[in-house]
Amino acid sequence: MTSRPGFVLEVDRSTPPTLMWHGEGFRLERLPVGSRVVYPPEPVETLADPDAAIAEALEHPLGDSPPLRALLKPGMRLTIAFDDISLPLPPMRRPDNRQRVIEAVLDLAAEAGVDDVVLIAALALHRRMTEAELRHALGDRIYDSFAPCGRLTQHDAEDPGNLVYLGQTDAGEDVELNRRAATSDLVVYVNINLVPMDGGHKSVATGLASYRSLRHHHNVRTMVHSRSFMDQHRSELHSSNWRMGRYLAAQGVKVFQIETTLNNDPFPASSAFLQRREWEWTLKDRAGFLAASKALARAPERLARSLLQSINAPHAMASVQAGEVEAVHAATTEHMYRQLLVEVEGQADILTMGLPYLCPYNVNSVMNPVLVMCLGLGYFFNLYRGQPLVRRGGVLILSHPTPWAFHPVHHPSYIDFFEQVLSETTDPLEMEAKHEETFATDPWYIHLYRTSYAYHGVHPFYMWYWGAHALDHLGGVIVVGGDRRAVRRLGFKPASTLADALEMAEDIVGPDPSLTHFHAPPLLMADVR
Amino acid sequence: MTRLGFPWRAPDWPGQLPRPVRRTLGVDYDTTWARHDAVRLARIVALGALARPALCLLAQPSVTGLDRLEGLDPPIIFAANHESHLDTPLVLVSLPPRLRHRTIVAAGADYFFDRAWKAHLWAGAIGAIPVERRRVSRRSTELAAALLEDGWNLVVFPEGGRSPHGWGQEFRAGAAYLARRTGVPVVPVHLGGTGRIHGKWRPGLHPGRTTVTMGRPLWPAEGEDARRLGARIEAAVAALADEAATDWWSSRRRAAAGATPPLTGPEASSWRRAWALGPDPDQDRWQSRRSWPLKRPQRASR
Amino acid sequence: MRALLVERSLPRFATARLASALVPGAGGGVRPLRLVDMDPPELPGPAWRRVRPRLAGICGSDLATLDGRSSRWFEPIVSFPFVPGHEVVGDVEAALPERPVGEGGRLAPDRPGPEGGPTRVVIEPVLSCATRGIDPPCPACSEGRTGSCERISFGELRPGLQTGYCVDTGGGWSVEMVAHLSQLHAVPAGFSDEEAVMVEPTACAVHAALAAQVQEGETVAVLGAGTLGLGVVAALRHFDLPGKLLASAKYPEQRALAAELGADVVAGAGEVVRAVRRVTRSLAVAPGGPGPRAPRLAGGADVVVDCVGSAQSLAEALAVVRPRGRVVLAGMPGPVKVDLAPLWQREVTLQGAYTYGTEERGGLRARTFELAFELVRSARLGRLVSAGYPLERYGEAIAHAASAGRRGAVKIVFTPQEEAPRPAPRRPAPRRPAATRLPPGPATSRRPPSSPRRSR
Repeated sequence: MTSRPGFVLEVDRSTPPTLMWHGEGFRLERLPVGSRVVYPPEPVETLADPDAAIAEALEHPLGDSPPLRALLKPGMRLTIAFDDISLPLPPMRRPDNRQRVIEAVLDLAAEAGVDDVVLIAALALHRRMTEAELRHALGDRIYDSFAPCGRLTQHDAEDPGNLVYLGQTDAGEDVELNRRAATSDLVVYVNINLVPMDGGHKSVATGLASYRSLRHHHNVRTMVHSRSFMDQHRSELHSSNWRMGRYLAAQGVKVFQIETTLNNDPFPASSAFLQRREWEWTLKDRAGFLAASKALARAPERLARSLLQSINAPHAMASVQAGEVEAVHAATTEHMYRQLLVEVEGQADILTMGLPYLCPYNVNSVMNPVLVMCLGLGYFFNLYRGQPLVRRGGVLILSHPTPWAFHPVHHPSYIDFFEQVLSETTDPLEMEAKHEETFATDPWYIHLYRTSYAYHGVHPFYMWYWGAHALDHLGGVIVVGGDRRAVRRLGFKPASTLADALEMAEDIVGPDPSLTHFHAPPLLMADVR
Repeated sequence: MTRLGFPWRAPDWPGQLPRPVRRTLGVDYDTTWARHDAVRLARIVALGALARPALCLLAQPSVTGLDRLEGLDPPIIFAANHESHLDTPLVLVSLPPRLRHRTIVAAGADYFFDRAWKAHLWAGAIGAIPVERRRVSRRSTELAAALLEDGWNLVVFPEGGRSPHGWGQEFRAGAAYLARRTGVPVVPVHLGGTGRIHGKWRPGLHPGRTTVTMGRPLWPAEGEDARRLGARIEAAVAALADEAATDWWSSRRRAAAGATPPLTGPEASSWRRAWALGPDPDQDRWQSRRSWPLKRPQRASR
Repeated sequence: MRALLVERSLPRFATARLASALVPGAGGGVRPLRLVDMDPPELPGPAWRRVRPRLAGICGSDLATLDGRSSRWFEPIVSFPFVPGHEVVGDVEAALPERPVGEGGRLAPDRPGPEGGPTRVVIEPVLSCATRGIDPPCPACSEGRTGSCERISFGELRPGLQTGYCVDTGGGWSVEMVAHLSQLHAVPAGFSDEEAVMVEPTACAVHAALAAQVQEGETVAVLGAGTLGLGVVAALRHFDLPGKLLASAKYPEQRALAAELGADVVAGAGEVVRAVRRVTRSLAVAPGGPGPRAPRLAGGADVVVDCVGSAQSLAEALAVVRPRGRVVLAGMPGPVKVDLAPLWQREVTLQGAYTYGTEERGGLRARTFELAFELVRSARLGRLVSAGYPLERYGEAIAHAASAGRRGAVKIVFTPQEEAPRPAPRRPAPRRPAATRLPPGPATSRRPPSSPRRSR
C-alpha cells in the first residue's frame, strides 16, 4: 500500500465541491475560487505482525531502560496504566492496541510469576469506562481475569485515600499521583497516540493525577501559551507535564512507557469516500455519499447518533515503541509527524472546518455545544506547528449543527456550565477566577464522577480553556447551520449557510479575504511556514 | 367500593389460636410425584426432544469414557465438577438411556426449591431432589439414601455450587458419605467448557464446545471413611480433567506420579489463576463477544 | 360613569375558562367583563371619600378571576357585580385629614394644589374592620394585621375581601370609586403616578418577602419574575440579607430586571432546579438532564418564594427547597394538583402570603405600605409599569397583561380618566420595560376637570 502525503489544493473553477463534516452528517460545499484546502495524508504503512513488533519492542526498549522481562520479578508490585475511552477516535476495531500490548506484558508477568498486578484506566478527570468499553479496549480475557477480583481499577482523582502527594516541582507545581502507581515497583503505561499531544510524560503526569496537580497546567495561562499544544516544544502544557514527569522519576516512580501509533485510517471501507479526495470519487463513493448524507439528514437525531457512534475504525498499529519515557516519546512524535504533517505556506484570513460527530469526550455520548467549541477551537485549531492556519484577528468558520443537547449521565456539569456560566461570561479568565473552584469542588459532581459515568465538575472549564488560545487569537467565530440560541450562548455568531458566513467574516477581516479549509477528519497537522 | 367479606375471602385466623405452620419448600418439598411413571415418561421425552438438541447446538458435547460404564447397573452415584447450570442436563443427556431414565439429581434446596414454581419446575424437569448444601441435613441425606436403595441413580456435584471463577472448588463429603452408607459405586465425571458457555463467572450464553468424560467407577473400600473416599473422587475427577485437556496416557502417567494438575488451579494470585485458564479456544480473540441469542454487543464491529 | 363590570354569569365564566385554556389572554371578548355606563357607588358612610383613579393596575389575580381560573373559595367573600381594580392611584377631592387612621408614615403628603386641587392617594384595598365600621375590630385588625381580618364579609359593606371585589366600593377600573379614609395613603411629593400605582403590588411583595423570615446568609429562590416576583426580589435585597438570592425568569427582559433588582443568580425557565443545586452545592439523587428533565435534589434552598401559584411552580418549589425548608406561596393559586410527598418527607413548611398589614422585625413595627413606598422609591419600581390603556380598550389591555412576559412587559395599567377611545394604546408596549417608563406628564395631562361630572 503506497501512502500519498497530504497536500494543499488551490480551488479553481473545475474543483468539485468540498466534503465538510456537519455533526452527524456531512455536506458538499463549494469554496470560493482561490481558497486553499489542506488535505490529510493517506493512511500510512502498518505493522505486518503487530504482536511480534510488540514482543520485539519489549525485548529491545529505547533509552536506558532494560528489557521489560528483566524488570519483572516475583513478589514485585506491578501497575499497568492505560489510556481511557477518549482514545482512539473513533474507537478502533478489536483488537485494540491496548489489548495487544497489555496481553503481551501480562504474558511476561505471568512467566515471571508476578502476583501483584493491578490495571488502572488513566482517566484523570474523565468519566469512568463502562464494562463494555473496558472489554472493548482490553479484550475479554484481561477483563475476565482482572475485573472480578478487583484488580482492574479506574483512576479516581477524588479519593484522598488513593492519592499520594509527592511534593512540588521546581516551578512550584504540586504533584499528586495515584497511590497505587506511586507505590509500585514498576508502572507500565500503555498508550495510543492519535495526535502529537498524547503520550510522553503527559500520560502518567496527567492521566493518573488529581485536580490539585492538573490545575497547574490545565488553566487559561498555560493554554494561551501553548502554541500549539500539539507541538510539545512550544507547548506550556507539555513543559509543565515534563517537569512533573521528571519530578516523578526523581521521586522514584519508575515508568516503563509503551507507546503505539495508528495509521490514521478512521473510517471503514463502506464509507471510503469520507477519506478520499473528492475528484477521485468513484461511482460507488458518490452513491455512498448520497445515500449516507440523505439518510443521516432524515434519520432522527438519536438514530443518526447511534449509527455514527457505532463506527469502529479500521485503524491499525503503525508503530510501537517501549522503554524510557522521553526516548519513547521522541520516536513516537517522529511517527506522528510523519503521518500527520502537511506543509502549508502562510496564514489565511479565514479558516473553515467541518466538525464531525465525535471528539475525545463524547465517545458513546452526545456532542454538546461546549464540546463543539472544544473540538473546533481546541483540537482542530491547534493542529498546527509553527503558526496557526489563520492570521491573528482572522475568522474561524465552523460547520456543526450545535444542538442544545447534553448527555445527562456523562456531562452533568456541562449542563450547568452551559446554562449558568456561559450565560454570564464566555471569557476564560473571568470564568476561571469566578466559577472554576465552585465547579471543581461541587460535591455532587464529585459524587457522580466517582460513582457514575460523569466527567468531573471542572471538566467543561478545561474544555473552554482548551480553546483559550484560539479565542485569544481569533477576531471572530461563526458557526454554520448551528442552533442559533446555542451558538449565541457560546459567544459565537450563527450563520445559515457558508456563503452567509463568508459575507459576515468579510465584515471582520476586510474585503477579498484569503481562505483556508482544514479538511479533516482524517486528522492532519498543518506545518505552517 | 366495598371490600368483599368473609364468605368471599379466606377467613382470618383467631388471634388466640396457634396457627400450624406448614413447610412445603426447601428440603421439605415432596418430590415423590416427580418419580411417577407418567412424569418420568414426560421427562424422558423432554430430555430427548428438547434438551438434547438444544445442548448439541449450544455446547457441542463430545462424550468419552462411556465404555467405562458397561455392565454397571443402577444405582450409581455420578459425581461431577460444577461450573454451569448446563452441567446437569449435559450429564443427563450424556448418559446411556438405560441409566438416564432412572437418574435423579441432587439440587441445592436453598436455590432450586425456594419458590413453589421453581420446586415444581426442577423436580419435574430434571428429577431434582432437594439437598442441603451448607450443612449435613438428616432429612436430605435420608431421602437420597432411600432413593439410592430404591434403585435410582443420583447425580451429585460435590463442590456444592457452581465455580465462581472457572477453577474447581474443594469437594465436599456428601457423595462419598452416601456411597459409603449405601455401598453404591461412584462414577467420577468431568465436564469441561460449560463455564465458558454459561458460567457463574461469565453470564450470558456464549455457544462453544464441551467435553464430558466419564471415569471408572469407584467402590467404597473396606473401612474407608467418607473423607478418604471423597479425596479419591476428587483425584479421579482431576485426572479426568487432565485427560480431557491432554490425552489418557499422559494423564495416567501424571496421575501415577502424583502430578495431576489440581482441579482448583494453581496457587497464585487471582489474576494469574484467571490468566492460566487460557484464552477461550472457541472465541476469536479479536472479536467482541456476542451473547446469545441476539443480544447486541455494545459496539458492532462491522 | 364608565366602568368595567364583572357580573356573575356562569356561561361567560365557563367560556372564558375554556378560551383562556386554549390561548391565554385570547378570551378578552368573552370574559365576564363589560364596559358599562353606571352610577358611581354611593358613599357608604361619613369616613368615605370619592376617588378618581388615575392609574389602575391589572393584577394576576384579576386575570385569574376573569379567566374563570380562580378558586371557588372566594365566592362567599366576593359580591357581584363588582368593578375590578385594586391597584389604584387616584385623586381625592380636597385634602386628607392629617394622619387619618393611626398612620405613622414618614413621608409628607401632597398638599392640595394652589387652587385647592385634589390630593393624590394610593388605596390600600383590603376591606378590614375599620372600613366595615366594625367596632371593636377583630383581633387581627386590632394588631394591625388587616390582611388577616376575620370580618371580611360583615359590617356595613357587602362581602368583598378587597376593594375591587365588592359591590359597594367600586374598583379602580372605572372613572370613580369610593374608599374609606383608613384605606388612603397620600402619595409623597416626587412620586410619579407609575411609582404610586406600583405601591400596592409592591406591598404584597414586601409582605411575602418578610413572611419568609429569611435569616442572614440563607439561600432564597424566587420563582416567577412577574410584578410580584420582581418585587419580592427587590424586597429581599432591600430588607434582608440573603446569602444567595436566586430568581427564575422566563424572558430576557425579566432576567435583566431580576438581576438589576438584586438577584445573584438568574435561572431561565426549566433551569431552576439545576441552578439551585449548584448554588446550594447540594447532591442530587438522580442525574437528570438539561431543561425539564431536571435532577432530583437531596438538599436545596432554605427558602423558596413561589410567585406564580401554579401546580407546576408549586411542584418546582417543593423540588428545590431543602429538607425542613420553607416555601412561601405568594402567587395566587387556584385548585392545583401537587404531589405532596416531598412536603411530607422533607418536613417542608408551606406558608401562604396574602396582601399586607403590619410588619414586625426585630422589634420594629411598620405598616407594609410604608415599607412599600420606601422600596418603590429606592428600587425605582415605577419602571415596571410598561403600558397603559384606556378603559374602552380593555380587551387589548387584558390580552397584553395575560402575555406580559412574552411581550416584554411587566405591569399593564388602565388610565381610567382617559376618555376618548383612540386607535392606539396611549403608550405602545415598550420593547424593554427597564429602559422606558411612562412620563408622568401625559398621564395626567388629559385629566378631566377636577370637579367630577356626576352622571346621575
